[in-house]
Amino acid sequence: MVVYIPRFNVYIPKDVSDALNVLSQRKDLIPMGGGSDLLVLIRSGMVKADTVLDLWPLRKELAYIKRENATVRIGALTTVSELCESDLIKDVRYAGLADVCKKFSTPFIRNIATVGGNVGAAHPLSDIALMLLVLNGKVKLLSKNGEREVDITKFFKGKRQTVRNHDEIIAEVSFTETPHNSSTAFIKFDRRWGHAMGYVLVGAYMQLRGNMIEDVRIAFDSMGNPYPERAWKTEEFLKGKEFSDELIKQALNDVLPKEMKRITDYRASAEYRLDLSKVLLRRALLKIKSRIEGGD
Amino acid sequence: MSVIPREEWDKYPDIEISLNVNGKDYKVKVKPYERLLDVLRYKLGFTGVKEGCGRGECGACVVLMDGKLVPSCLVLAVRANGSKILTVEGLAPEGKLHAIQKALLDTYAVQCGFCFPGVILAIKALLDRNPNPTDEEIKDALSGQLCRCGSYLRFIKAVKLAAQYIREGKEYFDESEVRG
Repeated sequence: MVVYIPRFNVYIPKDVSDALNVLSQRKDLIPMGGGSDLLVLIRSGMVKADTVLDLWPLRKELAYIKRENATVRIGALTTVSELCESDLIKDVRYAGLADVCKKFSTPFIRNIATVGGNVGAAHPLSDIALMLLVLNGKVKLLSKNGEREVDITKFFKGKRQTVRNHDEIIAEVSFTETPHNSSTAFIKFDRRWGHAMGYVLVGAYMQLRGNMIEDVRIAFDSMGNPYPERAWKTEEFLKGKEFSDELIKQALNDVLPKEMKRITDYRASAEYRLDLSKVLLRRALLKIKSRIEGGD
Repeated sequence: MSVIPREEWDKYPDIEISLNVNGKDYKVKVKPYERLLDVLRYKLGFTGVKEGCGRGECGACVVLMDGKLVPSCLVLAVRANGSKILTVEGLAPEGKLHAIQKALLDTYAVQCGFCFPGVILAIKALLDRNPNPTDEEIKDALSGQLCRCGSYLRFIKAVKLAAQYIREGKEYFDESEVRG
């Protein structure tokens, strides 16, 4: 049997400026982080690659987790397992990232998949992108002409489409440290443990004062568009109100279904996805509340 | 599916990389699109590296690269340049079996055996960082290893047994002794 193997060239850059230089000169380069997504797409013929720009050698510059000036900055080429082994996820405020670590694909994919790649892939089921959405994350894009920071809520344009220009690479994701009376949660629902894609993904952030919801941010894998988005109206409804079962029930039944449009495909039906979204959001909010109060 | 025309091969340059596989140094010429899997299995002959799905879903092709478990089907060979690779062949010295292999035999976990090189290395990666794992940790560590014979429950027993062997200092067993 002859198996067709897509052939392509690889450009191995010396450092960041070399990578940016070659990107500005050549239009046919596709930047690759860990490769756990792109190599599969190339192999299945979904992406036609002539030359791949291997960003892995830039790890000496772009793989880090820094917490300074009340900002958490994560280098784009930090692998998911490096993020999961860091002290950052032990912080109860970022417990949502610890949830991601438990559910992110499989241990061996976590060793090569990168934070920047997860964001840049712009797939609806991008766990880390979802958490950055609720943490008010920013994506730093580098090009030969300089750098710019894009709010992650404005980063996605469509399925596998982002505002990243051809000559830019994702260098860093960052978010401001959240207040101490806040926490996050992430829930992915699937039948499997390893390699779970999730029928529905929900990420949530909540800040409580006593029982009052000071701030809340909710993100789903899809609100109607094929990329992760925030549930703005539900957030608006919950903000400034007293946390109670009644309130959440009202938000789930009256507000969320109005702004969320789910699709039916071979994995799950729209009705099921909507129903599951409600259940998971409720679980996530209750989880955050118990985390803020010192439980888990 | 198509046959690659001979003249197209020359379009892509040969890149020389150096690898340390199971403690031995190799210099090998690779094409830019070749994966670590292709190099290990077809160029260097380490047939313990199995190609299952070729897209990182089955865990049959995993190897330890610089001590980290990676799917060799999703790592380009040029990226592995200069790294230390451990495949299942290098787990125990000639004529010996590693405690993990012994434990898998003891618990009758091996059925068809195709997934085993991957499973053994995943267990090694787990036991290297956690000598006494719980059931949950074992399930998480082996969550990427597909076994279509369905030996999953025996894996859990085997990991605990292997951990016990290693704690008792019995890391290697004589192959002739095990086979009887």
